Amino acid sequence: MRQKISPSNRHMFLFFSAFIFFLLLPEQSMALQTHGEPEGIYVHQMAHILYMTALCYLYWDTKRSTFSGRGWTYLRIFCVFTILWNLLALTGHACTQQLHPKDFSVDDGYLASKINMPVTFIKVLFYTAKHDHLLAVPAMFFLYMGLRSFYIHSLEEEDE
Amino acid sequence: MGMYMLPSVITDIVGSLAMIVLSFLSLRYTFLLVRRDPDNFLWSFLHYFCLTLAIFAISRAMGHMVKQALLIGGQKEAWKIISPFSGGLNTLLMISVSSVTIYYHKGVEGYRAIQKKAESLRIANRDLEKASTTMREMNLHLEEMIEIRTRDLALSEEKFRNFFHNSKDMVFFCDDTGIILDMNRAGLEMLNYNEDTNPDLSLNRLFADHTGLETFYSTLLDQKFIDDFEIEFIKKDGSVICALLSATALYDNKGTFRGCEGIAKDLTRLKTMTSQMISTEKMASVGQMAAGVAHEINTPLGIILGYSQLMKDDFPKDSEEFENLVVVERQSQACRKIVADLLKFSRQSGSSHGKADINEILTDVLAITEHNLHLDHIETERCFAENLPVITGDEEKLRQVFVNLINNAQHAMEDEGGVLTVRTRFSEEKGMIIASVMDTGTGIDQTIKHRIFDPFFTTKSVGKGTGLGLSVSYGIIQDHKGTITIESPVMYKNSCQLTPGTAMHIHLPVPDKTTTTD
Repeated sequence: MRQKISPSNRHMFLFFSAFIFFLLLPEQSMALQTHGEPEGIYVHQMAHILYMTALCYLYWDTKRSTFSGRGWTYLRIFCVFTILWNLLALTGHACTQQLHPKDFSVDDGYLASKINMPVTFIKVLFYTAKHDHLLAVPAMFFLYMGLRSFYIHSLEEEDE
Repeated sequence: MGMYMLPSVITDIVGSLAMIVLSFLSLRYTFLLVRRDPDNFLWSFLHYFCLTLAIFAISRAMGHMVKQALLIGGQKEAWKIISPFSGGLNTLLMISVSSVTIYYHKGVEGYRAIQKKAESLRIANRDLEKASTTMREMNLHLEEMIEIRTRDLALSEEKFRNFFHNSKDMVFFCDDTGIILDMNRAGLEMLNYNEDTNPDLSLNRLFADHTGLETFYSTLLDQKFIDDFEIEFIKKDGSVICALLSATALYDNKGTFRGCEGIAKDLTRLKTMTSQMISTEKMASVGQMAAGVAHEINTPLGIILGYSQLMKDDFPKDSEEFENLVVVERQSQACRKIVADLLKFSRQSGSSHGKADINEILTDVLAITEHNLHLDHIETERCFAENLPVITGDEEKLRQVFVNLINNAQHAMEDEGGVLTVRTRFSEEKGMIIASVMDTGTGIDQTIKHRIFDPFFTTKSVGKGTGLGLSVSYGIIQDHKGTITIESPVMYKNSCQLTPGTAMHIHLPVPDKTTTTD
């Protein structure tokens, strides 16, 4: 006796057949995009640009708004230093892409590592960018000063 | 030769540590700010910003320090494995910080909107408070003003109300039809109305003279006022009083006549006094003249009488001459009596003042005259007050006064009879004895009322009287410091009805006890 297959069961059979086919042959499905090596640095650089843009906006908005006082001035100085740090970091990362391992010498150990001669613009730029904390630390210091001012001002307001 | 990387390594390590320390110090302040004011969006934003930044600082610093440590330790391959994670985390945290900052845009907009609303609310609140203060002040001022105005109004109302009620003259308000809307106490008393009964009065009813009322209205409408208008008002009992009326017309906004307000002064007393003064003056001058005439006539009359008596001796008694001389003597005696009466009227005759009891005098007089009165169908009534004080006076002359008054009363009732009432009473208030002789006769015509005390004025037929009776009585009473008044028609027996009789009231002063003792 021959059993008749219902239309719904037929649909379920077709769906599961296609699922197994694509699971076994992923290259044919075109479902995943592969990410090459430069993508990480691009994302990082874009994050720097995004961070810088956000800080520019913050600077502009605090400047145009009615917020006044020493705390807001410190916050805007923090924005300037952080924007500069972002620029320097962006430049540093870009320079790293231009330099070759042969441009560095670690023969006498890591602490005695140096950039080999001849000195080029990229190498000077890279060397400068390696000192980015000279911008990042003052930036954090002004943020600290700004928040401290807000707090002191808040205490003074309460006393008044 | 080359550029040594050691300074950058040192900067990296120290800088990373400094970043961690500073980020946590910043985070501490944002935490304190949020705790102090949890509703402040800016503190919340800065808190999350610093929190992300602190994590970023830790991540980055740790990454840098681990890198330096691994590279210093020669573990380059290990760093190659860790490096992408550290970089990736840093990237994520930078995006997070950026996101928080971008989110700040929307948040701060909301915060600003709230602040703007709060500011506008604060301004509105301040304005409202200011308006409320102003309103309160205005209200207070208004209340004060109302209080002052009400007080002024009450004072004014009280002043005018007192003026209205306490005025001794009649004050009234009437409508355009002449109906009295309001009249003060003095006015009602003037008209003998009771204040409590609230009588329906109108000018039409009050004015005794219809022509006077027409003159009053026409003058009032023409001049809008009337000044010192002499009129007569009819009292409740029907008697008339003389009054001096001043009134002002009242008009509404459209200029329609709405009535009048008036003040009336009772002139009756003034008129009576004036009349009495005129009468007194007249009587005084008539008395002086009578005295002069009497003195002048008395001497030749005495001579005529003396000679006629002497001549009688010269003729026999049955002779015609003797009879003529008797007539001359009799008529001369009559003339002497008239002269004596004139002297009494002018108070020139001598009098002997002593204690006199009016009740006793009246009893004597009635005893003499009662018989004649009964002949004329006149009844007598005695209403003598008990314990009547004794006065100082000439009993004989007072007796003559009462005889005169009773004779006049008898004359008034001789045709139809009537009742003669003799009454005495003592008014302690005035210190006077009032003796009244009242009849129910024909009364005295108003036109001759003012002449009845004139010498030789009489209504009796020729030969029945000389017209000296009341003149003599007047003179005697004046001599006793008293007064004699007439009331005709008279209110008989307090019946509240006027009857056409006459009452003669004699007021005689009772001397003070001290005077009497002296």
